Amino acid sequence: MIRSESRFEAFSDQPLRLVGDQGEWLGAFELDLDDETLVRLYRDLVLARLLDERLVRIQRQGKSSFVAPAAGHEAIQVAMARAVRAGHDWLFPYYRDYGVASTIGVPLVEIFGQMMGTRADPAKARQMPSHPSSRPLKLFTAVSPIAAHLPPAVGAGIAMKLAGGGEVCVTSFGDGATSEGDWHAALNFAGTQGAPVVFVCENNRYAISVELHKQSGSETIAEKAHAYGMPGYRVDGMDVLACYYLMRELVDRARAGVGPSLVDAAVYRYGPHSSADDDSMYRPPEEVAAWRRRDPLPRYRAFLERRGLWDVKAEEDLRSELNVKLSAAAAAAEAAGPTPEAWMFDDVYAEMPWHLLRQRAEAEA
Amino acid sequence: MALRNIVQTVASTLDAEMARNERVVLLGEDVGKRGGVFLATKGLFERYGPDRVIDTPLSEAAIIGAALGMSVHGLRPVAEIQFADYVFPGFDQLASQVAKTRYRSGGQFTAPLVVRMPAGGGVKGGHHHSQNPETHFVHTAGLQVVYPSTPSDTAGMLRTAIRGDDPVVFLEPKRLYRAVKEEVPDDPDFMVPFGRAALRRNGDDVVLISYGASMAETARAAEALNDQGIGATVIDLRSLMPWDAETVLEAVARVGRCVLVSEAPWTAGFMSEVAAHVTEEIFDELLAPPVRVSGADTPYPYAQDRSYLPGPRRILTAVQKVLEY
Repeated sequence: MIRSESRFEAFSDQPLRLVGDQGEWLGAFELDLDDETLVRLYRDLVLARLLDERLVRIQRQGKSSFVAPAAGHEAIQVAMARAVRAGHDWLFPYYRDYGVASTIGVPLVEIFGQMMGTRADPAKARQMPSHPSSRPLKLFTAVSPIAAHLPPAVGAGIAMKLAGGGEVCVTSFGDGATSEGDWHAALNFAGTQGAPVVFVCENNRYAISVELHKQSGSETIAEKAHAYGMPGYRVDGMDVLACYYLMRELVDRARAGVGPSLVDAAVYRYGPHSSADDDSMYRPPEEVAAWRRRDPLPRYRAFLERRGLWDVKAEEDLRSELNVKLSAAAAAAEAAGPTPEAWMFDDVYAEMPWHLLRQRAEAEA
Repeated sequence: MALRNIVQTVASTLDAEMARNERVVLLGEDVGKRGGVFLATKGLFERYGPDRVIDTPLSEAAIIGAALGMSVHGLRPVAEIQFADYVFPGFDQLASQVAKTRYRSGGQFTAPLVVRMPAGGGVKGGHHHSQNPETHFVHTAGLQVVYPSTPSDTAGMLRTAIRGDDPVVFLEPKRLYRAVKEEVPDDPDFMVPFGRAALRRNGDDVVLISYGASMAETARAAEALNDQGIGATVIDLRSLMPWDAETVLEAVARVGRCVLVSEAPWTAGFMSEVAAHVTEEIFDELLAPPVRVSGADTPYPYAQDRSYLPGPRRILTAVQKVLEY
């Protein structure tokens, strides 16, 4: 069993909350983040929300074939990205995590390029939309099969430990992922190796349409960590300060060699599972409305306003600044144009074998 | 040169590569103190310690998935799957993750790793210790698939696999693990390239093509044919993805007749690909249609362990057929 002293309680009855519904500080300790950090978290949230709105829009415009909306997940996604050292630590995200990508600093033109499948995508438009990646930022290429990125995240974590460079791996997934064999295989292996991995469940209570209680007989996702010899934490995943404080502590502990941990972040996705889903078939509108009242953005904005760090003018300025950037990035990504047909045959292997050379030649003939 | 059998060669080659490059690590079930259930990693735990010879939980998905993460981070992992039959819990990791990492990331991330697995029948293991799953891997773009049949090829190809930049499924013919010893080159850089077949024997009447453990039966069949005055060219494919179509086409075009031997199931087996390719490319040179001799389209049987295999008798019957066509 991996243990250490922690400011926050593992396996708590209630999720950790630090900011109340009216923006009040709820922490049992003194807030010790500087103003710049506090404001930056809000900027990250707004960028993630505006980005998501744009991505949904370009899908509806027919410029993108698919989107997995992330609105409602921003607070935990921003916290994951801000808790790590960008370009030093590794992120193994899942497909809904472009809030992680935008916060860690993946250029917006690359995110739009990936969504529209243009040459602006560093992955050469090889994957369907909503699968970001970035080598310089060590954001591993997201996959569709659920939980399949977790054993690789653990392997990377073991390699980090061997390398001794103080790197940490943060990996995220939805609540449905916790039913997959790969999820259990990964946490089990991480526990035996004390790998520096923080597992983050963006628990929005639905795997497409299947509710959490049909997904697991456990009361919480967090308690599953106990079986794998690591602490499990419950957090209000729509409270950016709670998420940030918790993630920072778990990342620091992993970096210090304490071992892995699991975060069960309670979030809600406001949109459907994807552009191919109709969530009105399985979610009552009152439920969606109730969760919208807990939206991470207005709640955290109220927190900043109470402290004199934000006002209407700052909000207007930020939104117009980000909208200009987003418009420019989307336009640049679209202008980059489609990838050449011949790229289909590249990157299967380091060197193209004879049968692919032949197939490429036949395709070009 | 040192006299070694195949399983000793696996261990000695891993040893040499680990000594040469500290980024080479091993992981799998029982690869540590036990040295692997077939002793393919014997002595390496003592020599390199638990950080580089990692006894994993009993989970093939964890083994292959973790190997991928290690390789993405810069290590050169060599994973052992205890029997090829047990790769299936890790198949999604191979098919969905490992094989597609380079492609789906546009070359940003790569997966230079090796997954070793003893394969094949004839060991009284029933259907969960005897299968030949190579076709699953060949059909998964992004994987290289090799299946050596001799100690020297095992050394040369394992080295190529470890030093290469792409994932390799390294099938080992466990029926032959201790069947023969031969002089294996000591050269620490001895490599056998992938995609090149080996010509084991020259003859003008028929071409026998095989790979892996079935090379033993194929060689015996060729010997029997020789006693009857029938000359067989014998080709060991060694590497299935990529495979050496050039050597095959050249030999078959010269002789005009071929028999394709594999102990994997008959339908859509790798030899079906070879037969299709030969027919498509050099139809006019053929004096008889290519004939396959293979395992059956049944689960691998326990009681009929030997008769399932394409033994010399069945190979000779097929040769008779192509000669009389």
